[in-house]
Amino acid sequence: MTILAWKDTLKKVKEILEKAPIGYCLDYEIPADKSIKEALITVTGKTFVAKAKISKIAPYQNEKNVLKKKKDKLKTLITIEKIEEIQDDIVNYEEVSGGSVDKVLSYAVIVKKEEAKIELPDHMEGKLNSEVKSLIRQVEKDGNSLPVKIAEQLTAAKKHYGIGEKDFEKLIKATLEKYKETGVDPYEAVGIVGAQSIGEPGTQMTMRTFHFAGVAEMDVTLGLPRLIEIVDARKTPSTPSMTIFLTEKARGDEDRAVSLARSIESTTLLDVADIEVNTTEGYVLILLDKQKMQERGLKREEIMPRLKKIRMQKTAISEEENKIRLSQEEPSYKKIYQLYENLKTFQVKGLDGIKRAIVKFDQKAKEWVIYTQGSNLAGVMELKDVDYTRTKTNDIIEISQVLGVEAAREAIIEESTSTLHNAGLNTDIRHLMLVSDMMTFSGNVEAIGRHGISGKKASVLARAAFEITSKHLLNAGLIGEVERLNGVAENIIVGQPITLGTGAVKLSYRREE
Amino acid sequence: MKVEISKGIEELKFALLSPEEIRRMSAVKVITPDTYDDDGYPIEKGLMDPSMGVIEPGLKCKTCGGKVDQCPGHFGHIELAMPVVHIGFIKEIYSILSSTCSNCGRIKLPDSNLKEFFEKIKDTANRLSDIEYDDIVSEVESDASEVVICPHCHFENQKVALDKPTTFREEGKKLTPKEIRERFEKIQNDDLPLIGLDPKVARPEWMILTVFPVPPVNVRPTITLETGERSEDDLTHKLVDVIRINQRLRENRDQGSPQLIIEDLWDLLQYHVTTYFDNQTPGTPPARHRSGRSLKTLVQRLKGKEGRFRSNLSGKRVNFSARTVISPEPFLSINQVGVPAKAARELTVTETATEHNFERLKELIKNGPGRDEAVYKPGVNYVYRIDGSRIKISEKNSAEVAEKMELGWQVERQMEDGDIVLFNRQPSLHRMSMMAHEVRVLPYRTFRFNLAVCAPYNADFDGDEMNLHVLQSQEARAEAEILMKVQENFLSPRFGGPIMGAIHDHITALFMLTYRNPLIPLETGLHITSYIDVDRTPETVEVDGKRYFKGRDIFSLILPEGVNLEFKGKLADKSLDPNGTEGLIRIEKGKLVNGAIDENAVGQSKGALLDYVLRKYGNAEGAKFLDNLTRLAAGVISFTGFSTGIDDEDVPGEAKAQLREVGNEAVQKVEKLIENYKNGLIGMEPGKTLEDTLESMVMKALSQAREKSSEIASHYLGMDNSTVIMARSGARANMMNLAQMAGIIGQQSIRGQRQHRGYTNRTLPHFQKGDIGAYARGFVSSSYKEGLNPTEYFFHATGGREGLVDIAVRTSRSGYMQRRLINALEDLKVSEEGKVLDTEDSVIQLEYGEDGTDPSRSFEGDSVDVDYLVKEIFGTKYEGGKK
Repeated sequence: MTILAWKDTLKKVKEILEKAPIGYCLDYEIPADKSIKEALITVTGKTFVAKAKISKIAPYQNEKNVLKKKKDKLKTLITIEKIEEIQDDIVNYEEVSGGSVDKVLSYAVIVKKEEAKIELPDHMEGKLNSEVKSLIRQVEKDGNSLPVKIAEQLTAAKKHYGIGEKDFEKLIKATLEKYKETGVDPYEAVGIVGAQSIGEPGTQMTMRTFHFAGVAEMDVTLGLPRLIEIVDARKTPSTPSMTIFLTEKARGDEDRAVSLARSIESTTLLDVADIEVNTTEGYVLILLDKQKMQERGLKREEIMPRLKKIRMQKTAISEEENKIRLSQEEPSYKKIYQLYENLKTFQVKGLDGIKRAIVKFDQKAKEWVIYTQGSNLAGVMELKDVDYTRTKTNDIIEISQVLGVEAAREAIIEESTSTLHNAGLNTDIRHLMLVSDMMTFSGNVEAIGRHGISGKKASVLARAAFEITSKHLLNAGLIGEVERLNGVAENIIVGQPITLGTGAVKLSYRREE
Repeated sequence: MKVEISKGIEELKFALLSPEEIRRMSAVKVITPDTYDDDGYPIEKGLMDPSMGVIEPGLKCKTCGGKVDQCPGHFGHIELAMPVVHIGFIKEIYSILSSTCSNCGRIKLPDSNLKEFFEKIKDTANRLSDIEYDDIVSEVESDASEVVICPHCHFENQKVALDKPTTFREEGKKLTPKEIRERFEKIQNDDLPLIGLDPKVARPEWMILTVFPVPPVNVRPTITLETGERSEDDLTHKLVDVIRINQRLRENRDQGSPQLIIEDLWDLLQYHVTTYFDNQTPGTPPARHRSGRSLKTLVQRLKGKEGRFRSNLSGKRVNFSARTVISPEPFLSINQVGVPAKAARELTVTETATEHNFERLKELIKNGPGRDEAVYKPGVNYVYRIDGSRIKISEKNSAEVAEKMELGWQVERQMEDGDIVLFNRQPSLHRMSMMAHEVRVLPYRTFRFNLAVCAPYNADFDGDEMNLHVLQSQEARAEAEILMKVQENFLSPRFGGPIMGAIHDHITALFMLTYRNPLIPLETGLHITSYIDVDRTPETVEVDGKRYFKGRDIFSLILPEGVNLEFKGKLADKSLDPNGTEGLIRIEKGKLVNGAIDENAVGQSKGALLDYVLRKYGNAEGAKFLDNLTRLAAGVISFTGFSTGIDDEDVPGEAKAQLREVGNEAVQKVEKLIENYKNGLIGMEPGKTLEDTLESMVMKALSQAREKSSEIASHYLGMDNSTVIMARSGARANMMNLAQMAGIIGQQSIRGQRQHRGYTNRTLPHFQKGDIGAYARGFVSSSYKEGLNPTEYFFHATGGREGLVDIAVRTSRSGYMQRRLINALEDLKVSEEGKVLDTEDSVIQLEYGEDGTDPSRSFEGDSVDVDYLVKEIFGTKYEGGKK
């Protein structure tokens, strides 16, 4: 059901409450809509304070016996039948038309939001084969649960060994039993174990950056520096890079891959031309290098329209064979020099940020893949021939901006797993998931450290013990902060048992009578 | 020792001290800038006034009457002649000055705006985090500070500027702390929340000090040197300065001295107060000791790694602990630790005398404080009577005290075999760095333990020291035994596999015992089996009338019954094992029938056999297996003997010639590549420059040379060679190391490239300018055994140096990363429903790791090892896949 909403003063609301039923004139043009039978009024813009039953929305006419929101410029008349005071949070509604709900400045047509429901991840089931699905269902019937991975392994084992139905039942039972045994204990300090499991192998990693799979010039940061970069949630990684996969059609075609790679490589004018400045006569001469242009797959015709867009006033462009002359009507040294500076970094082609793109044939998957130095996920995803479902970048912050925080969480897990794996170290994925979840659970990607998670801890003592001790203590005094002693560091500081593991439970002894 | 009922701390609240509060809690008004008089007595109303607590034993506190260990110390105070600002609140003072009206003391925003902000704070009061609150406060500040005319009283305010570190100016005119204080007094309590202050605990004018608290003497004790000279604490020094200047300021003010002099003194007082709080304030020269060392004042005491927080509060020194050098002892179980008798006599466990242990404790007391005997017998060091008085047990009074003992006495008993202790080696990078062991008291002076436990501690015996902690309560002992014992930590939570296992000579020994299933003379075999804890001997075979054991049969003795396992060993390669008798390790019904035991069977974090025994038979059986394994290995190697020397790397003359040939060929190949490059005959590889292409081709050619030399070396060095046995079995080193000793060391690199830095166009003056050949860029064609020529030696050293620097940088960087990780994640716990929660009960994960599986109980990350289950349940029924 659609509802009309507007913002009003408290005085007016009270007036309506007093005089209803009555006509009320608003200063907005509201199209007449017969389906609207209700109206909500807000004063603060945060909560609705009144709910009205309305019978008519009509254009404004100067009638008697009506209330007016303002003295003039009125546009709509609504007839209020009944009105009552309510308290309802504005966030429970979403807009259909008119203004937006969060800032009801004029009016908005809204509907009540459906209550959020947590549904079982059905999207996963789409990928599972029916046997695995039915196995999971079967187990669930008995009130048990089985991770998808184990269910898959079970069905695979059934096929591989040719296990009969009866034996399979037995196997499922044994598996369930084993699965129960492997569960974590309540109050287990999973965070500390996770942190140790990532930190400990750090001592065994190398510091060097490596060349990318046989392609020189393309460095990829690996090992400890990369791991630190991931947990730091740096704005840009030291070596951003992308792996671009192609659609089914383009996958096998080298020419298409190469031309795509060339088209995304960001090329500046200086890459394909020499630029000369003539300050006495006041012009800039661009000398195009044919060979370099060919290498980059660039034609002169492509450069011209771009050049025309250059935002310098009163610039005349004339061209000869391989020479482009930019001159100004009123040449001044300063202007010419500025023009020259602009031209030097003038992008004639490609996507922002992508410095190089190299095409390689993946022997295993039998397809052409583009590897890039520099990253521009949003740009690349829009391109034709790009399989955006598989295309990757190692810039986690960019992923969170383009695809959202859930994707960033996956990216952190993926990147840290592969970094550790590349160093030949084996770390359980659960630890990395935990770190990733901790970094993203607030809704943004937050760094591990004083600017991120550690700086936002609830405990004064824990923050003071980590870094910038005095600042936290002094500020705590000003705002009268209360230390609730829920965490580990705080309790150690005051000399009490910690709240994890065996410290979380208390033992009592019941003496037998 | 009395039993005390400890009270818990529920919560702590932080607040500012008001001048009244400071006076109220003050025990004495300090007016004399001196400490002790000539006779060594504290001066009345001086900085060491006994009203502020006592530090000398025997004296009593004037305020509470307590002795040294009873009196907690009491604050004193100084009345400041003129107010000064508190350096820690400079920023807040500045922002309050610029956002409030100097005339009426209101925030310079219209009432409607203020209301809105209040609404914001109130509306979300419950779920408002500090960060959101800070944002609102800074929004108020930035909005209000731009207003010139106060909307409340229409006064025209002037812009306030902060002249760092402590001076405020209004349109160039200095604002004295006194004036600031007067302005702050006008601010209404109601406005405070918008300024970032809680009116219940703080008033803005309290940030300007008029009364100065003097900390108790316990906080700044006097140190008496051996010479009898007294040395005051840094804080006391600073307080002397404050009082002295304060006095002079008061005198000058009362006498009506010129304003200039008063202002100078006022500034000086401000300086001393500032440095008393923080001696590293930017813009202020640090106050120094006579010797030139800068003083450690309040902030310095708290801050950083050596500060109170990290050094004394988060980590504490403990009693009942010991530290000494470690050494190996294969005859101890992995669950045990050898403790030197000397240490065991000092480390005690306190036991309360009850009906159950009365007689035993009596006997212990009779033993006295311990005698030097061949067999260690625990004694008692101290006994506490019920009233808490302590008796020291000596040889003389032991019998007497033992007779007098009553129920309820506390007996500090010396450590004995079987006590549970925690054993730890730093850096404690993971939880297996601190595990529980059972004590075995041993002679000599080192801690000793089984070699299989080196891996989790990352210990070796080149002088490493370790710490030991004796548990004191029954609860702690129970917890340690169930959760922390070595055998409970076989499986690493990092990857769900075993991290302990045989190392070095253990692997060598077992390899020699099982490689080609040697015949072992009966007598030797019996000796070897006497090392292990079994009650049977293997069958013998007769050859030429002599009786022998078979090596693999001896090894089978330590296997638990019913082991059925097949996996690939390190020799699983046709070239190494043409008959297939060594590489494939097969155990049937607890008997080793094929294969040589090597690193893949019993090594650290990859021993398949070890893993199998642990999972199938449990931790206790696993521990027994490892115990027996280490003893057996010690037995074997004692009888066979094993050594290596420089002649192990001797290769025959023809091999030497071949190696030299390989080296020369590589160098020539490089020459040719360079010639081609110079003549422009090299094509560019995609994505590379011409130089890079050449470099990668050269690198390839040179690494091929090393591989070739490795091949030649392994061809001429056979399994009769000790080093080869070690390399092939995985005990230590690898074939490439051997090839480097016998053949060619190979290219030395810096940052993954050939050596290229140095002089103009050359790496060393020994080469021609522009020479980019193999030798000129760090190729070493000599072997370690032959020795390196000077240029090779130099390049080798640069490569080695890079490695050292890398390690130094890495340890500090990864240490800091781990500290941050721990700090961020330390509070996470699994709830009873299996969710992962933080301290505020926010849900971080709905189910730990998406499947609730504990990695340390997983099978290398999988919750369940299905293949293993199939084998266990159905035996051989489904062996070899689908039929």
